[in-house]
Amino acid sequence: MRIRLLCIALALSIAAAVSAPAAVAQDDEEVVVRIGLHAAEKNLNPFIPPKALPITHDFTMLVYDTLFWSQSRLDPEPWLAESAEASADLRTWTVSLRNDVTWHDGEAFTAHDVAFTFRYFSADGGPGRYGHHVYDHPVFESATVVDDTTVELTFADPVATFELLPGADLPILPQHIWEGIENPRKDATSLPVGTGPFEMVEYDPGVSYRLEANEDYFLGAPLVDTLVMPVVTDAQAAFAGLQTGELDFVTRNLPAPLVPKMQANEDLAVFEGSRFQSLYLMFNARKPILKDATVRKAMSMSLDLQSIVDIVEGGLAVPGNDTWTHPQSPWAHPTGGHEYDPAAAGDLLDAAGYVVGDGGVRTSPDGKRLAFTLLVNAAAPPQIRAGELVAEQLAPLGVDVTVEPLDAPAIFAARKKSADGPPTVEMFIAVFESHAHVDPEHMFFFFHTPGRGVGGVFSGYANPAFDAILEDALDEPVATKQPLIQQAQEIFAAEAPAVTLYYPNGRWAYRPAAYDGWIDDPGHGAFTKRSFLAPYAKGSSTAAVADDDGGLGTGAIVAIVVAVLVVLGAGVGLRRRRGDADTVED
Amino acid sequence: MVVLAALMVNFALPRLAPGDPIDYLVPPDSGIVDAEQREAMLEDFGLHGSSLDQFGRYLANLTRGDLGVSVRDGRAVSEVVVDRLWWSLLLVGTAVLVSTVLGVALGFAAGWRRGSRRDVGLLAGVLAVDALPAFFVGLMLMLVFSVQLGWFPVYGATAPESLTGLAWVVDVIERLALPATTLTLVGLGSVFVVARSSMVSELGEDHVFMARAKGLAEDRVRRQAARNALIPVSTVALLGFSTLVGAATVVEAVFSYPGLGSLAFEAVRARDYPVLQAVFLLLSLVAIAANLVADVVYPLLDPRVRRVGSR
Repeated sequence: MRIRLLCIALALSIAAAVSAPAAVAQDDEEVVVRIGLHAAEKNLNPFIPPKALPITHDFTMLVYDTLFWSQSRLDPEPWLAESAEASADLRTWTVSLRNDVTWHDGEAFTAHDVAFTFRYFSADGGPGRYGHHVYDHPVFESATVVDDTTVELTFADPVATFELLPGADLPILPQHIWEGIENPRKDATSLPVGTGPFEMVEYDPGVSYRLEANEDYFLGAPLVDTLVMPVVTDAQAAFAGLQTGELDFVTRNLPAPLVPKMQANEDLAVFEGSRFQSLYLMFNARKPILKDATVRKAMSMSLDLQSIVDIVEGGLAVPGNDTWTHPQSPWAHPTGGHEYDPAAAGDLLDAAGYVVGDGGVRTSPDGKRLAFTLLVNAAAPPQIRAGELVAEQLAPLGVDVTVEPLDAPAIFAARKKSADGPPTVEMFIAVFESHAHVDPEHMFFFFHTPGRGVGGVFSGYANPAFDAILEDALDEPVATKQPLIQQAQEIFAAEAPAVTLYYPNGRWAYRPAAYDGWIDDPGHGAFTKRSFLAPYAKGSSTAAVADDDGGLGTGAIVAIVVAVLVVLGAGVGLRRRRGDADTVED
Repeated sequence: MVVLAALMVNFALPRLAPGDPIDYLVPPDSGIVDAEQREAMLEDFGLHGSSLDQFGRYLANLTRGDLGVSVRDGRAVSEVVVDRLWWSLLLVGTAVLVSTVLGVALGFAAGWRRGSRRDVGLLAGVLAVDALPAFFVGLMLMLVFSVQLGWFPVYGATAPESLTGLAWVVDVIERLALPATTLTLVGLGSVFVVARSSMVSELGEDHVFMARAKGLAEDRVRRQAARNALIPVSTVALLGFSTLVGAATVVEAVFSYPGLGSLAFEAVRARDYPVLQAVFLLLSLVAIAANLVADVVYPLLDPRVRRVGSR
C-alpha cells in the first residue's frame, strides 16, 4: 500500500514539475549576465596559445582592444585608431589614435603603448596566436612614436592589409604593465589590464571569471554591468543551467538535437549566425599514397557532404566548398561548390592503376593497400560521427578507413613533425577557426610547401606552382590579391590537400529576460564585444532557426524516463514489504 | 618502499601517454616550435632533460616540498592542488559517510532476513543502482532535480556571485547535494553487499544461536550480531575512500565541481605532468594511508585478531 502511495505521490510531483516552467529572478537595477563558458581561457594572456576556441579572440577582446575592428570585413572600422595611412611602398603605416582612451588602471593610453605592443610581440618570437602576425608575415621592423596620438609602424615588406592584420587582430597592451615582464608566457593567472569595454575583476583559475563594465569606455559604457562567467565544461550541464535559470547564455554552439527543446522553452531564445568555422578532413600529403593528388581527389569526390551535414548537424550547416575558405569570408572563392561523383572517383583510381584487391580494398601500383587511420577528437562528438560517415562513404571506393578517437594532445603529437621524418598521422578531422578563414594569408600560411608557414605540421601539401601564386599574393593590395588567391583555391580544389566537410552555423541559446542585446557579428558570433555596446547591440533577437518540429521536449522525456523507473521501482517494491528511498531516487 | 614505487609509477604514467605539454601549449596550427624553443619552454616548467634527470629533479624537489609549476596556468602545483583539495574532501567525505551509513543500514536490514522479499528487493535495487555508470546517474539526477524540479544548481561548488555567511553555507550544501548523492549511489553497492553478507554469516554464528536459545529479545540479538558484522564493513568503508576519489573524476566533470578529479582530468588533457604527479601522489598516499588505518584499526575492533597477533 505504502509503495503505491509513494509512486502516486512521486508521479504527481513530477507531473507538476514538468508542467511548471522554472521561475526566473530578475534584477532590474544592475544588468548581470551569467555566461557559461565551455572552457577556461587562462587570464587572457595573449602570449599563451588559445585554450577555449572558438571564443578566445572575442573573450580577449572584451578586456583588450585592437586598432581596428573587425578582421572579418575588408573595411574594418577604426577602433583605438582613428585612421591609418600607408606610405607609397605600403611598408610604413602612420596610425592616428584616439585621445580619449584610458587603461583600466586609470593610466592614459598613448602611442607609446602601440609602439611597445608591436615591439614586444615581435621580440617574443615564440609561437602564438597573435605574435606570428608581426614576425611571420608581415615582418615588423620598427615603431616610431611621433606624438602621443600618432605612431609610425614600419614593416620589412609591403603590407596591403594592415588594418585587417595585424591592425584588427593584435591586442594593444599597456606598456607600464608589460615592459618589466621577461617571459610573458609564464603568467596565466594575474588579472589583465586593458582598454576594453570590460575589466576583469576576478579570476578563479579554471573555475570562473567576473568582468565589470568599464564605465569610461570610449564608445560609451557597455549595456551590461557585470558578466559572471563560470566554466561549465559539461555540455549537458551547461544547457541544463540555461533551463534552470542559472545561466543566461552558453558560449557552446547549441547542438542540433537540442534546438527544438530550447525553442519550446518560453524563457529562452535561440538565434543563428555565422562564426566562420569549418570542419575539415585533412590528408597528410607526406605519406606515400596520400601524396598522390589523384587519390585525394577521388576520396573527396566520394564524399556526400550534404548527407554528412544532415546526419551530424541535423541539416543546420552549409556543406563544404572544395575551395576551402568559408563562403562568407572576404577571401572566399566566388563559385565554391563540391564535386560529388563517386562513379567518376572510381574511374580516376582505376585509370591511375589503383586496382580493387582483397576485401574490396584497392592497392596502389606498388602493391600497398589503401587503408588509413583517421584521427578524430574524442571530446568532440560531431568529429567522431563525421569520421564514421567518411569511413562509410569511402568504403565503396575501395578505401579502408579506421576511425580512431584520441584526446587532443595525442592527435597533436601525431601531427607534429618528428625529428626523423614526417608526422605519423595519415588523416585527421579538425576545426578551422574563424580567425584563419578571414586571414588574407591563410592559404599561404597553412598550405605552403613545408618550410614556410605551418604547412609542415598541417598538411604537408607541396606544389611549387601553388606556392608561387601565394608568394606573389603576399605583397599585393586587396584588388589584385583576391584573384591570385582564387587561382590558388582552384588548384586546391583540383588537388584536394584537404576536404572541408561543412561550415557549421553558429547557434546560441540565451535568456532574453536577462539580456537581449546579442547580435551576430559576422565571423565573431554572439559572444563578442559589439553585443554589449550601445551603437551595435540589438534590442531584440534576430532570425529564428529551423521550425519547431514538435518533437519531444526535455520535460516529456524526463517524464517518460521517470515513469519507466517508477514502474521498475514499483515492480521491485511489490516484492518487498516496505518501500525504500534508493530505488525510486535513481 | 611502497611510497617510492608509487612515486615511480606516478612519474612514469603521465609520460606514457602520447603527446607532451608542448603539444598542449602550442597546438600544431599555432606555429612551429623548433628544438631550442621547445627545450626553453620545457625548462620553464622544469621538464627539460632526460626522463632520468627529470625524475632525479622531481625527487630532490619533493624532499623540499616543491611540487613544481603547473603547465596549464604557471602557478605552483601545491597552490593548484590545495585549491581543489578541500572540495574533493568535502565531496568524497560526504559520499563515503553517507554511503557507509546507508549501506550498512540497508545491508543489515537485508541480511537480517535473508531471502525475504525485503532482502531480494533491496539486493536487486542496490545492485541495479550500482550497475549504472556514474555519469548517467549524475545526468539523470540533474535532469530531474535541477532542470525539472529546480531544487538544486547544476554546476560548481559555490555560486559565481560572492556570498557570505549562512547564505554561502546553504549554497555550498545545495551545490554539494547532487554530486554527493551521485557518488553515494556509486559507493553504496560495495558497502551494502559486504554489510549484508557479513550480517548473514554473523547470524550463522554460535553466539547468535546461543543468544536466541537464551531467549533474548530480537532487538538485542540483532544489536549483538550487528556489532560483530560491522568489522569487515570498516575495511570496505576505508578503502572506499580511495575508490570514490577515482569515481569523483566523472562526477566532478558532470557537475563542473572543482575537485581533484576534475583537476586530474584537465591535467591529463593538457599533459600537465607536474599537476598529474602531485594528484596521483596524493591519491596514492590516501590509498596507502587508508590501508594502513584499516590494518591498525582492525585489531582494535576485533579482539580475535589482536589475540592471534600477540601470541
